[in-house]
Formats: sequence, C-alpha cells, structure tokens
Amino acid sequence: MIATMLIIMVVLLFLNFPMMIPLMVAPLIIMFIYFPTLDPMILMQQFSTGIESYVLLAVPLFIFAADIMTTGKTSNRLLDFIGSFIGHIRGGYAVTTAAACTLFGAISGSTQATVVAIGKPMRERLLKVGYKDPSAIALIINSSDVALLVPPSIGMIIYGLVSGTSVGKLFIAGIIPGILVFLCFAIYSVIYAKVAGIPLASKATWSERLQMTKKALLPLGFPVLIIGGIYTGLFSPTEAAGVSVLYAFILEVLIYRSVHIKEMPKIAKSTGLVTSAVFVLVAGGQAFTWVISFARIPQMITETILGTDPSAVYVLLMVTIFFFIGCMFVDPIVVILILTPIFYPAAMSAGVDPIHLGVVITFQAALGSATPPFGVDIFTASAVFNRPYLEVIKGTPPYIIMMFVISALLIFFEELSLILL
Amino acid sequence: GGNDNSNGNASGDGETYHWKFVTEEIDGQVQYEYAEEFAKRMKEKSDGAVTIDVYEFGGLGNETDQVEQLQSGTVEMAVMSPGFTGGMVKEGQLFALQFLFPENVETTQQILNDSEALNKDLRELYEEHNISPLSFWTEGAMQWTSSKKIAEPSDFEGLKMRTQTSPLILESYEAYGADPQSMSWGELYTGLDQGTVEGQENPIFFIGDASFHEVQDFMTLSNHNNYVAMTTVNTDWYNGLDDEMKSMVDETIEEMQDWVFEEQKKQNEEYLEVIKNDSENPTEIIELTEEQREAFKEKAAPVRDFYREEVSTVNGEILDKLLEEIEAAGE
Amino acid sequence: MNLLKVVDKIILKVEEFILSYAVIIIALMVVGKAIIRESFGYSLPFADEVSQIAVVVATFMGISYAARKGRHISMSAFYDLAPFKVRKVLAIFIPFVSAIVLFVLGYYSALYVMDVQESGRVTAALEMPAYYLYIFIPIGFFLGGIQFLRNAWINIRNRDEVYLGTDAKDYNDQETKELEGTHL
Ligand code: NA
Ligand code: NA
Repeated sequence: MIATMLIIMVVLLFLNFPMMIPLMVAPLIIMFIYFPTLDPMILMQQFSTGIESYVLLAVPLFIFAADIMTTGKTSNRLLDFIGSFIGHIRGGYAVTTAAACTLFGAISGSTQATVVAIGKPMRERLLKVGYKDPSAIALIINSSDVALLVPPSIGMIIYGLVSGTSVGKLFIAGIIPGILVFLCFAIYSVIYAKVAGIPLASKATWSERLQMTKKALLPLGFPVLIIGGIYTGLFSPTEAAGVSVLYAFILEVLIYRSVHIKEMPKIAKSTGLVTSAVFVLVAGGQAFTWVISFARIPQMITETILGTDPSAVYVLLMVTIFFFIGCMFVDPIVVILILTPIFYPAAMSAGVDPIHLGVVITFQAALGSATPPFGVDIFTASAVFNRPYLEVIKGTPPYIIMMFVISALLIFFEELSLILL
Repeated sequence: GGNDNSNGNASGDGETYHWKFVTEEIDGQVQYEYAEEFAKRMKEKSDGAVTIDVYEFGGLGNETDQVEQLQSGTVEMAVMSPGFTGGMVKEGQLFALQFLFPENVETTQQILNDSEALNKDLRELYEEHNISPLSFWTEGAMQWTSSKKIAEPSDFEGLKMRTQTSPLILESYEAYGADPQSMSWGELYTGLDQGTVEGQENPIFFIGDASFHEVQDFMTLSNHNNYVAMTTVNTDWYNGLDDEMKSMVDETIEEMQDWVFEEQKKQNEEYLEVIKNDSENPTEIIELTEEQREAFKEKAAPVRDFYREEVSTVNGEILDKLLEEIEAAGE
Repeated sequence: MNLLKVVDKIILKVEEFILSYAVIIIALMVVGKAIIRESFGYSLPFADEVSQIAVVVATFMGISYAARKGRHISMSAFYDLAPFKVRKVLAIFIPFVSAIVLFVLGYYSALYVMDVQESGRVTAALEMPAYYLYIFIPIGFFLGGIQFLRNAWINIRNRDEVYLGTDAKDYNDQETKELEGTHL
C-alpha cells in the first residue's frame, strides 16, 4: 500500500501535475484498491476539515496585509528605514531578514504566515541590493522555520498536550536551539554576502537616518501593534493578522492615500488566488493523512523499525527521520499529533527527557516544512512570489545542511534544550 | 500493506471480527484508555476472534468528521460527546446545562447508568441518525479555571470566558454576566497566558494534561456540569451482529461503566495533585460553599427554559423526564 | 462561439468577485471580532464560523481561477528542463487528466453534500444547514475541471506556444525570448 501510494505521488509529481492532483488522487486510489467497502465521501469531508482550522486564517490575512503594503508605500518606508541603519554592513539585509523572520515567526507562530508577511517585502529589497532570487527565497523560507521553535509555538503547545509535558518548559527549552539556528543563518549570510560580492550602500548620515525614521514612524507602528497587541493579550495571533490588514488599510488608503479604496477588491483577488493555490494542498494533505492514519501505516512502520529496547540515540534518530519525512507531506501540526504518541513511549523507556523530545520533534517539524521535495513553506513561497518550483528550492541546500548539523547536535546534546530549565 | 476488511458478517466457528473504534481523545486520556480496555476485554472474551483497532484523536479528522464516519460505517464504534452532535440531535445539548446533575459525581454516574430518558428516549433520537449510544458515562465534573477568583456569580461579571459557541452555552455564561468568547484550541494556552481570554472550563485531567493551570491563577471546583461521553455504535452494524456477539458487546459495555468511573476518578485525582503541587505555577483551588453553589444554581436555572424553547425539538420532554429521575436519585 | 465567450466572461467575473470578497469578509470578521470584544466586551458568536466558510469558499472557488492563470503549484523541476515538444505534449496531457480527476472528485463531493443535507446537520454557532458550506466544494471541482479542459484545448489549438493556463503562457518560453532579445 505504501509503495502504491509513493509510486502514484512521485510519477504524477515529476510529470509536473499540479500538486493538488497527486495529493487528492493518491488517497482516492488507495481507497478503491485497499478499502473497496468504504465510501470515498469520507475524503471529501477531510478536504474541508483540512482548511477549517482557525489558526490557518492568519495566512490569507497576512498575505492580504502584505499585498496592501507593497501596493502602497508602507513597506518601502519601513525598508528604507532599516536600510539607513544596516545598508552599509556586509550581509546586513540578509541578517535583518533572518532576524525579522525569527521575531515575526515567534509571534505569529506560523511558518507560512512568516514567509508571506516578512518574505514578501524583504525579498524585493534583497533583490534590489543585488541578491539572486533563489538565495533570497531560501533565506526567507528557512528563517521562517524558527517560527515553530520560539514561543509561543503552536507546535509545542500541541506536543505538550499529546505528551502531557509542561508547555511553559517546552517554550523555554526551544530558546537556545532557536537562537542557534538564527546565529548559523546570520553567519552564513555575512559570508555569502562577501563571497557573492553583494555591493554595500554608503553609510547613511544621522540626519538621513532621522529623516528615514520620521517617514517610517507610522509604518513602525506595525511591529509595535502586532507584538504589543499579542503580548498584552489585546488580541490573539490570528487576530493580529486581521489587525495588520486594518492597519495597512488605514495607512495606505486613509493616511497616505497611495491606494484607492476601489483597488481593494483587486488586491483581495490576488490574495484569494494565492490562498486557494496553497490551501487546496492543505486540503489534499488532510485526505492523505486520513488514509495513512486509517490504514495504520505509521504504526506499521514504527513497529518494524523501533524493535524492542532501542537506545535513546536510536529513538531520537528515528524521530528525526520520521518527523522530517512526515512534514514533507502534511502540516507539521498534524504530524506532531499523529506521530508523537507512536514514538513517545519508546523514547520514555529509552530514557529520553520528554521536554528534550519535544524540542527535537518541533525542530524536525520546522525543518521538514522547508525542505524539498515537498513542504508547505516551499509551496507558499512558490505561490506568493509566483516563482517556479525549481527556483524556489535552488538556494536551500546550504540551509538544509546547517539545519541537519543542528539536528545532529540536538540528538547528542540534550543540554541544548535542557540547560535553561 | 494491510488489507483489513472490517465486516464480520457471518456467524460460526473460526469467524474473526475486525472493528475500528475511534475516540475524541489521545493516548493516556480517559476516552482512549476506555477504548483500549474495551478492545482488550472483547479480545479475551472472544478468545481472540475480535480484534479492535483503537484510533486516537487527530488522524481521522475532527470530532464532527468522526461522527459522520460512524454514521457511514467507516468505523464501527466511537466514543463521542453529545456536544459535537448538537447540530444534529439537538436534545444532546442538555448535557451542557449547568448545575443540572448532582454535585456528587458518583450519583451522577448512577443516574447516567439508569436513566430511561437517556438510555431509551435520547437513544431513539440518535438511532434516527444511525447512531446507537450504548452507554453514557462521565469523564469527570467540569471545573472553571480563571485569572480572577470565581466564587460567586458576580465574579463572572465581564470575565472573558472561553467556551464552545453553541447558543445554549453562550446563554449559560451570559446568565452569570460573563462574556463568553470563542477561541480555537490551538490558541487557548497562549490566549489564557496573555489574557486574551481569562477563563475556561474542562475536567481536571484535561486541564492538567493541557497545562492550562500553568497560565491560570485560580481553579474553582465548581462541578457545574459533567463532561459526559457516550459509547456509540453504528446502528445498522450493531443490529446486524449475531446474538452471541451482540450480547458479548452489551455485557462488556455494561462492565465498562464501573471501570471507566474508576479510571476518570483516578486521572482527575492525580491531576488535581499535579496542579496543587506545581509550585512554579501556583494555582489557588477554590471550593464553593453550599451557599455559593446555590447562588450559581439559581442563575443557571432559567437557562433550562431557553433549552426547552429554543433548543429542544420535543419541548423539553427528555429534560423533564431526566429532571424527575435526578430528583428521585437525590432522595 | 460568442455565447461561450460571454459565458466564460461571466464565470470569470463571478470567480473574481467571490475570491475578492471571501478575503475581505475574512478580514472583516477577524478584525471585527477582536475590536468588538476589546471595546464592548461582547463576542461575535458567528465571526469564526463565517471566516471559516469564507476560507472554504475561496479555496475551492479558486481552483479554476488558479488553473486559468497557471498558478497551481507544481513540482516543475523536470518539466522546466524538458524541450519544447515534450512540454507541449505534457501541457495537453496533464490538464486533460487533471480535469478528469477533478470531475471524479466533484462527483464524490456532490454525493457528500447530499449526504450532509440529508442528515439535517446545522453549524454550531449560526445554526445554518451545514451543507451550505460544503456545496462550494463540488462546484469548485467542476468549474476547475472545465477550466483544465480549456487549458488542454488551448494547447491543442495553438501549436506554437505552450500555455500553463488559458491566460498564462509558459514562463520557460518567455525567458528564452527575453534572453534572445538581449543577444540581438
Ligand atoms: Na519538506
Ligand atoms: Na497557575
């Protein structure tokens, strides 16, 4: 059954079928062949379930806000402001992108929303100062991963429930690995900028900086409003996405008047198009998950590979591999929900710390959603930036290598997550 | 791959049965443990002829999906809470009424076991939808956690309380003056932490398991209602079982009532200790006095009329019969 | 033929309208809920449900629009390396098969909608018949299937170019042309 599924998927994908087709048709065929007595209607039900998650609403909203801001002036003013401070530093824009993704990912809790909200404006600026598109996109996709690691992380909240471990402790344990990833990316960015010979802007004077700051005063309300709003409990992360649409609307339509209200439906249409292209895949992924769960494929596989009495390192290695593969296909949250209960008992009897296991799992989920061939962040980037698949993944290998190294460190050194506790 | 055909269709020696049993909870939680124990007992009784795959929450979609899967026979058995079928069998919403069942959980379980209103009348309504609830059981009394102390109805004034969004539940909290809010499960921990919402309701084992006590300062042992679950089966499938198998299922269902009562009691007691002993995240536990309880009860009573008039499709007949049974049990 | 064009135009306009306003409605509901809660302490009980309906509507009604614009995500790694003739064949074969798949999915989801309708299930907050929500799934699949057929057809009709969608030419050819342009 696993072989049938894989063959269908791989063949259709490499023929360049729209990805929704293999994702939706593979479960259907599996059902016809292996569960002929079941009603395929169940899969239709799963299509809508996949996209009904409230947390997912943040994605179209952040796309919408970013679309409004890039049509108007807000994002340019913000970027000019940032540029006046870091434009003359080697790798400055890239490091800023990584930092912005980490910070934004931390508050939005969604890797996809981060790709959209930070990636969209930052990519344009990176291209402008001389970065090649694949390296800009790879930086954005991978920096957005950190969203799952830094609190408040939805991935950790779900793991906390499934495993019964303290969510608060998980949050703390994710901090060092999160910073480690950011540091690696920042150092790489500086080296890359030097090797690729990205030209530097001349250093801005303080009066220029003051001028840029003045112009960016209102747009700077964005991070303040979103971060402040969430941490003071004014609104939830999903609502913050909505509020950013409202703020973008107020700035562009009412204050700067750079976007006419009549243009809103057109902007929304482009948002809707991208949302649809990404969400049909989420819908298909849910049907795919249903069939896999129903057929008990995860249990079948893990029973064979875990054997009896595995060592802690072996269990963690398998966790790493399985979560990585799982998150290639479906939403990280769903993978955590399905796979955690399967690995948790084995990990506990092998003496793995439950908090550390949570960090490893969340880390892999983050990594899996950004690595080829599949990955929700890659799809999102492809849709939002309207770039072909190959160009989106071309620049990712260095990041994947860095992430693999950190994964390996996590397997062998549990102190990385436990030392702050 | 595994080619599992799940229809045990004929009787006779050597016949094997392979069923699927889905729950709304995950490994370790009450519903899942129930289903595992049920599967184990059936296997023993049938000398291995009956194998039951237990599915935890997550893989097969959300709770509503699972209900539909039971109806269509995709799975044979399911533990479900009536709240998730409230859009279909409206009478099932009566379990959301607050201060309806006695404070004592053991008495409540006795009523759930014996009630004709539930086990006959309500069951018939479900059977119109191809769902047969074979038993009703409590997963424990529901408690309030909050960032402000809740000991009397006035403490709810303006409190942003996270609840499910059915009109009946909204009505229940508005009766205390609270502001009921909807919030998705994935955002709830963070929402409570940052004060976007200030309170929520759940049985103790769930509060502890989801770490909600870490981000709440108070837990009121309100026992304002019970988290009631039903063991349900696909009606067509159940009626198609041969007599021997059917009575084996019935007998096991019956035995499980005491077992699950002890299981939920154990889990709720254990997690109460966990919450009490978490010195890093102290939670003040509030026990209501008889007087305070009465005050809540008084405010909650009119919601029954809302149920009779706005929710019930049989003018509250089942509720009224249940009320009589509850009263009889109190004596 | 003209009538078909008019019908096409109407369908396009309707799709664009639905996509735009689904997104705007999501924004209004989510923001409205937050603002009303913080200013009046009152919860809009229907807000979440309406946004979720809008997401389902946008997703499935967007299938054909994305197909028209050639914006469905695909793993084009090998396709991009293929010569014109291979891409031309694939550009006919793929949308044709995709159309068939979408019609099959449309058929099953129509059955599902009827099933939900029969059950009489209503949604939790609005207490609206649940099948209102699901009806957009088969409609979206059918419209998507028709659009994929049109994508196949335009590639049969026009021999000289590869179309990713009726409104989108293959970027591979465009890039080559740009390059040629710079050489000349
Ligand atoms: Na991936
Ligand atoms: Na606490």
